[in-house]
Amino acid sequence: MGTSLSTVLWQLTYRAVVRSAFATVPFYREHWALDGRTDPVLVPGRTGRHGGAVDAATVLARRADLVPLAGGEAVVDPLRGLGAVLRRVEPLRTGTLVAVFGADSAPVDLPRGVRGWAVRPDDDVDAVLAQARGPVVAVGPDKQLQLLPDRPHLRRVPLRELDELDRGPHGLLVHPVLGVLAGLADCGRWHVDRTALYLRETDAGLAGTVLRQRSPRLVDTLLGDERVRLSACPRHRGPVLTPGLAR
Amino acid sequence: MIVELVDPRTDPEPEGWTAFVAARQLHPVWEFDLLRIESWLARNPALLAVVRDGGTITAVATALVCRLPLTARFARPGSRSLVRPGWADIYLPWLSGFPGIEFAAGSDVDTRVAARRAVERALVRRLGPGLLGVVYRPVRPDELDIFTGRGRPIRSCMPAAVLRNEWTSVDDWLGSLSRERRKSLRRQQRDLAADRGVVTRGGPARTDLDASELATFVEAHRRRLGPLPREVRTPVSAAYLDRLVRRPDVHTLTYHDEDGRLLAVNTMLDNPVCAVKQHWAARARADGGRRHLYFDAYVRAMRYLTGAGRPLMSSGTGLEAVKQSLGFDLHVRHMVLAPRPVLGR
Repeated sequence: MGTSLSTVLWQLTYRAVVRSAFATVPFYREHWALDGRTDPVLVPGRTGRHGGAVDAATVLARRADLVPLAGGEAVVDPLRGLGAVLRRVEPLRTGTLVAVFGADSAPVDLPRGVRGWAVRPDDDVDAVLAQARGPVVAVGPDKQLQLLPDRPHLRRVPLRELDELDRGPHGLLVHPVLGVLAGLADCGRWHVDRTALYLRETDAGLAGTVLRQRSPRLVDTLLGDERVRLSACPRHRGPVLTPGLAR
Repeated sequence: MIVELVDPRTDPEPEGWTAFVAARQLHPVWEFDLLRIESWLARNPALLAVVRDGGTITAVATALVCRLPLTARFARPGSRSLVRPGWADIYLPWLSGFPGIEFAAGSDVDTRVAARRAVERALVRRLGPGLLGVVYRPVRPDELDIFTGRGRPIRSCMPAAVLRNEWTSVDDWLGSLSRERRKSLRRQQRDLAADRGVVTRGGPARTDLDASELATFVEAHRRRLGPLPREVRTPVSAAYLDRLVRRPDVHTLTYHDEDGRLLAVNTMLDNPVCAVKQHWAARARADGGRRHLYFDAYVRAMRYLTGAGRPLMSSGTGLEAVKQSLGFDLHVRHMVLAPRPVLGR
């Protein structure tokens, strides 16, 4: 990933999150104190398994222990970071309606003036779209987006999973624990939102850390697909996810 | 006397620790690995003091190093001295009613006082200028002479409920209770036996339990009851419970509903001298909890106690009237405060 200033700052932010999680979050305290971790090593001599990273199933099972001692929510949002990544791949001007299929609640991190709508199964989507005055960005699984009527200001942004990295031409990459990982930019590469997410290599594949979430803390959660690699975009220079060969 | 202060997070187990714990027949919470886990996951981690006289251990103590102000952070590993003001609480987490310092069997009062002084001097040296004093709790009345002295105020603590086992069966025990309590327990037993919606499992060395679920459940129960006075413990961790419930001398009783939801849990520390009913947690009635489980756990504990012939059972502090109605006696406990100027005297 190189040693540019932004990369160094990215790593420093991650290390601060790791140290904070070790000091305040029961699950990470237990896991790293008793088993260990790398990058950074927190207990001399203990390097742990997978560098201290944990799989998504374990994270979900230990949700209550991901809340810092000071308290907070234990709810994992499968579409965390949607607004931030979406605005990098789709122009979201004032008046845009972002309709999200399969979400429990509307995205909270949309730009000012952009409305969010969590579409329920019994919602009258056609009626809402017909009444929409501005552009509509529909986000959700491919199957549901294909059912939408064609409208001049409707744009579809499909949600992709890690085994669909080679699909395009646009979309958002999601993970059940870490939320929205990346967006497919105009260069055709999956760009990671590095203000909110850090990724590191482990011997079990990439592990992701949500950098700006107080509770629940999500640190070093394995993506679960060892083929996915992290590299730098030759055009934009930011971190991108690419499909790699199986190990 | 030589005092070795050990940080269980990073230091190896002191020589002779396990042998001393076994010889004194101390409860499982004195196991070094459990203390290590507990300390890593504590805001106020334990510092273990091992007092030796000619190579023989004469006393062991767990001193919780408490800092002011209490923050929502685990203690920094490797921190040696108290820069900010703080105190050492000679206290054993998760075993209320029992002291945090244990002396070798047969040692006289003078030896015990000497050991206590040696521990205090070692703590002063180790914890530095921030150490405001040492708190001993709980202290049995017959041990007050060891800890008290000039400038060492005594305060009262919640009494410990202890039952002396004088029965050979549960029916014997039930027969010794008041008519009202006996009738209500028998009625509850009938009601629970008829309730197919409650699945009860109990026994030692349980490996079928989700420790994370247990820890969350116990903490939710504790929060619902509100904070205890002078609470210095951090919520019990999943790693701690995972190791605890797998021990052969720890019996865990669980109640689940027909959907597999945990309704209540109780851990009992078996011990040839005194069994201890330890963690109790139950689901709130408003959240689908069931009645009578608290008392059922006592009936089951008495079944084990009378069957195994354990002479005593402690059920810690609180709910004094209920415990008295079940045959427990309330044993007076004290707290002794030793401010900095009198430490080591």
